Amino acid sequence: MLRLRGREYGADTALVMAIVNRTPDSFYDKGATWDDGPAFERVRRVVDEGADIVDIGGIKAAPGEEIGADEEKRRIVDFVAGVRAEFPDLVISVDTWRASVGRAVCEAGADLLNDAWGGYDPGLAEVAAEFGVGLVCTHTGGVTPRTRPHRVHYEDVVRDAVDRTVALAERAVSLGVDPASALIDPAHDFGKNTWHSLELTRRLGEMTSTGWPVLVSLSNKDFVGETLDLPVGERLTGTLAATAVCAWLGAQVYRVHEVVETRQVLDMVAAIRGVRPPARTVRGLA
Amino acid sequence: MIVGTVVCPHPPLLLRELTGGQDVAAELRKACTEALGALTALTPDVVVVVGGHDAPGEHAGGAVPVRGFGGTGERAPRERALPLSLGVARRLLDGAGYSGPVEMLTVAWDASAAETEAAGARIAGRSGRVGLLVMGDGGARRGLRAPGYLDERAFGFDEGIRRSLAAGDWTGLLGLDPGPAEELMVAGRAAFQVMGHAVAFSGTLVRPELLYADDPFGVMYFVATWLRGTG
Repeated sequence: MLRLRGREYGADTALVMAIVNRTPDSFYDKGATWDDGPAFERVRRVVDEGADIVDIGGIKAAPGEEIGADEEKRRIVDFVAGVRAEFPDLVISVDTWRASVGRAVCEAGADLLNDAWGGYDPGLAEVAAEFGVGLVCTHTGGVTPRTRPHRVHYEDVVRDAVDRTVALAERAVSLGVDPASALIDPAHDFGKNTWHSLELTRRLGEMTSTGWPVLVSLSNKDFVGETLDLPVGERLTGTLAATAVCAWLGAQVYRVHEVVETRQVLDMVAAIRGVRPPARTVRGLA
Repeated sequence: MIVGTVVCPHPPLLLRELTGGQDVAAELRKACTEALGALTALTPDVVVVVGGHDAPGEHAGGAVPVRGFGGTGERAPRERALPLSLGVARRLLDGAGYSGPVEMLTVAWDASAAETEAAGARIAGRSGRVGLLVMGDGGARRGLRAPGYLDERAFGFDEGIRRSLAAGDWTGLLGLDPGPAEELMVAGRAAFQVMGHAVAFSGTLVRPELLYADDPFGVMYFVATWLRGTG
């Protein structure tokens, strides 16, 4: 069971988390929602398209100009407050690794801290516990934020991902985070090469069988690009294929750029799994 | 004595769980429920159900055959599932709140005149106040998107059934030609003829009422009541 902003979601309910970047340089949208106007428009659009969660981030994952905590807060805290005011029921996630930023966005109304760099700042989990918000516990293999994988290797990448994310989740719960609000995320591409991300996808069942709700962030990533030899902008089909496999294997939250397409895939897979009725069936039944 | 007869169709999509998020047959089911409500209001001692099937027979009970057609629930063993026509009848009777005695029998899709007559005679000769529920559909070839594609003859054939049901005309039902009925995928021909014979043998006048006659999915559905009355 997953609980966010006081709402409970059964294991068969898949949630779409729409990415909203407050960055001038993220790899996919390249600053499209850097300004306030387009950023609020993006939130309105993804909510309209059926997103369950928005994930607001102020720093791109890839290396680049160093962004300090003050600048990160300047980019996102007021925006979180604005989104909270306009959408009182929307689950707001913030993508940050810094406890100080986490504290500021929780005060502004965030419900979930997406610790995309895998517990780099141990204080972030304490903030989650203090504010009674959720925490995404990701696997990075222990790397420093905003670094690229270089010759990374694992004896067993899936075992490592399960062990480390579960340990982070258990630590968060020990600090006071609601166990139903602690998610684990294998973190495709983070501290991993394409082979690792493919294997994590193939063996995602080993993560979902831990019982912790699993979040996957697959959208337009390099492991899709390398697998299909396609540049950013042409990776939607591959993203959706990976989405379908993760859905089949029981992932519950999907961090995405494209909400409508993701929702269709999730609904389709849920119907194949037999946990969601098809919308309308008449063929052969008249 | 037959106190009343009801005609209902038996498409799988009357089973609510088979049409997914949308209840595509709500209007049709409502008409069926209304018809059965009129029948059970006559407080029959027993409801006798007759519907088409691969073979004639009596069915003491069994599961509504949902899983054979779809859905995601428990899978009942084949031998415990009712034939479709009787399963839909069971569900409709439940939906109408009827919990009294029920006897169920099937008539073969290709039953001969002698066979439908014998079945009708048996029903008419049964003791007690009998409510008769006849499960049968019209043609399934009423359009390019119909299950059996388009056969223009379907319209005339179904119109004959409609007129007979609307008028309480049992002779019209007995006159349905098995050959074209089979070609037009009319799933109710044999059951309608059992009905015709049963009403003829019982010798009672009926007040006919047609509650529904439409083909929203290319198959003709009828809902009708022939309650005992003064004609």
